[in-house]
Amino acid sequence: MDSEDDMHDANDMDSLDDDYYSEESIVASDEEHNSGDDYDFEDDTVEITSKQQPSKGSLIVRPPMRIRLETGKVKRDNITVYVVDGSVFPSIVAFLDRKREQGKHTTKSKSPELRVQHYTVLSEADIRQLQEDDTTRVSNVLSISKVSASILLRHYNWSVSKVNDDWFADEDRVRRTVGLLDIPVVHFPNLKEVMCGICFESYPCNKIISAACGHPFCSSCWLGYISISITDGPGCLMLRCPDPSCGVAVGQDMINVLVSEQDKEKYSRYLLRSYIENNRKTKWCPAPGCEYAVNFVMGVGSYDVACNCTYGFCWNCTEEAHRPVECDTVQKWIQKNRAESENMNWILANSKPCPKCKRPIEKNQGCMHMTCTPPCKFEFCWLCLGSWQEHGERTGGFYACNRYETAKQQGVYDECEKRREMAKNSLERYTHYYERWATNQASRLKAINDLQQMKSENFLSSLRNNKGHLQIEKLTDKYSMPETQLKFIIDAWLQIIECRRVLKWTYAYGYYLPEHEQIKREYFEFSQGEAEAGLERLHQCAEKELQEYITSAEQPTSAFHEFKTKLTGLTSVTKTFFENLVQALENGLADVDVDSVGCSRTASTKSYGGGSKKKGRGKSRGSGSDPSLEE
Amino acid sequence: MANSNLPRRIIKETQRLLSEPAPGISASPSEENMRYFNVMILGPSQSPYEGGVFKLELFLPEEYPMASPKLGRICLDILKDKWSPALQIRTVLLSIQALLSAPNPDDPLSENVAKHWKANEAEAVETAKEWTRLYASGV
Repeated sequence: MDSEDDMHDANDMDSLDDDYYSEESIVASDEEHNSGDDYDFEDDTVEITSKQQPSKGSLIVRPPMRIRLETGKVKRDNITVYVVDGSVFPSIVAFLDRKREQGKHTTKSKSPELRVQHYTVLSEADIRQLQEDDTTRVSNVLSISKVSASILLRHYNWSVSKVNDDWFADEDRVRRTVGLLDIPVVHFPNLKEVMCGICFESYPCNKIISAACGHPFCSSCWLGYISISITDGPGCLMLRCPDPSCGVAVGQDMINVLVSEQDKEKYSRYLLRSYIENNRKTKWCPAPGCEYAVNFVMGVGSYDVACNCTYGFCWNCTEEAHRPVECDTVQKWIQKNRAESENMNWILANSKPCPKCKRPIEKNQGCMHMTCTPPCKFEFCWLCLGSWQEHGERTGGFYACNRYETAKQQGVYDECEKRREMAKNSLERYTHYYERWATNQASRLKAINDLQQMKSENFLSSLRNNKGHLQIEKLTDKYSMPETQLKFIIDAWLQIIECRRVLKWTYAYGYYLPEHEQIKREYFEFSQGEAEAGLERLHQCAEKELQEYITSAEQPTSAFHEFKTKLTGLTSVTKTFFENLVQALENGLADVDVDSVGCSRTASTKSYGGGSKKKGRGKSRGSGSDPSLEE
Repeated sequence: MANSNLPRRIIKETQRLLSEPAPGISASPSEENMRYFNVMILGPSQSPYEGGVFKLELFLPEEYPMASPKLGRICLDILKDKWSPALQIRTVLLSIQALLSAPNPDDPLSENVAKHWKANEAEAVETAKEWTRLYASGV
């Protein structure tokens, strides 16, 4: 499978190891305190910052360590890895392993791109920790209280770097805007009693509460003021002193002293949510009921994100993950599916209104003699919509409505029929793609379900089959194989689920692929067909054949080993098919060179792991089988 | 009766409104409902509304002062999101009076009047004077 190019890639990645210790590749951490600058990306620089918690599909880098990728240093891949901190080493190794792994399966495209998943899935505890870390950092660097740091960060949408920049540029201005005072503006040292500015009652000084400004209010008025603000929503995070001339911020410390447990909890939730929602690096997972968030580092690669809840989504548009299809296409497709107009098109294309009662009537097949449903019961000719009574010998026979023919010749029905015909064609086209899109979605959901049944308790909560045994456990007992050796089954199912997702979206892609781009379309349909056929064999094998080994008692262990080889092979082959498909679509099928297709092997077709080999297979595409894989 | 447990704040505010009225502003509670005020604002001098008497009705909702007084359709930020319980009836009425001195055609109640004002201020001022004379002079 490895082309020469790919082998070079792997070697190049190995050679990067040497760079770790060379002087020029070490970039000093210039601003230890200010790693908030990870908000800013340059086109050719990627910084990966994530948290301790290892999450699926993420690079683990402990902040403030960074991996910096810059273009233009290493010839073949245009990637140089700079190490900020020596202890980042294990992460780099993981990164390289990953890259090497990808090198084996991905074919090279014209502009090599990194396929690193640069995101972290955050649990609520992670979010609190990150928020706490940022707050502490700002608090330490600016020498202000944590509450003040939190207010400041909230004001700056949790961008540590912006806080730092503005603060050190003009501290007074920032303090004024955000409402952080260092000295109170109101003093009443010699008064025995002070009047609350809201209820106008007088209280002894020790019963009066003030924010940093010193404006006096009693605790019950404070309580009312804060509660209303919390009830009104997340605006309470920006709460200020009630005095209209004063802008002093009211922080969480004061709120926690004054309000009910319930309101404290609400406030704290708003604060947590704000950290995700007001921060452009993070988003909540859109799956219903999911409480994870995702921290995403923009710059390179795909937007697809796999949440720990198993839901995969696109970080850019938050729709379900749809790589290799673009967000715009997905939006259009989803809107089209929703659009009521498709129904209207169908009615228009497939029905005519009864000439008498005007109800739409669908004609499946058969003769032109229509009878409307009771109570109307009107009998008419489908072609001319005239009453059937008037049909007969004199109109040229019941089954050859010459009145229609005459009318058609005169052009009476032309426009109307033409529109109907066009609508019908466009609807059939849409239905073709929609059916396949929807069927793959259904298959995918079924596969997810099946996988859950397969998985052991170690992977998921105990989803037992109706016999009360996990299927994998059964296989372990039966063929005396440890569970680790049955991982190939899980891998197969994961591959199926992923492929169903990709395949599904390729139908949306196909629908929007311009009709006139004939060569692209052919190439697309060929790749899609290859991938689909491979997937069908894999799915069939994982679904039906596996079942035999689970249910029947009389299967020799050797047969099961053969099955293992087959399923593993199918998984790997299907994976390759889909990677090719994904790559081709992500390139916008750019490798199909309109001028050279069909006449020569160009550099671009070569990049698909040998164009000639593919074309050879293309001839046998109809049979839907790959001889090397059929047993 | 609605007046029986009137908050002390409202009583104090009312007393002060009656004993030390702001210049050009009078506000007196209705006898049946102490939360309901009849307000009169004199058109500020040097404004087109000079000589006019503008009548308003003001109502203090149950949540007052946590919620703002209710005052009909007046586009004033402190009656909406900028309300603070530390503001008072007096401050609200003073703000309205100030609005008569410096109308804000960018946040109008009547789109037509605002357009007129922006297109030809002198003419609009004349209209305002005319309408003040016709509809807001005394009685």
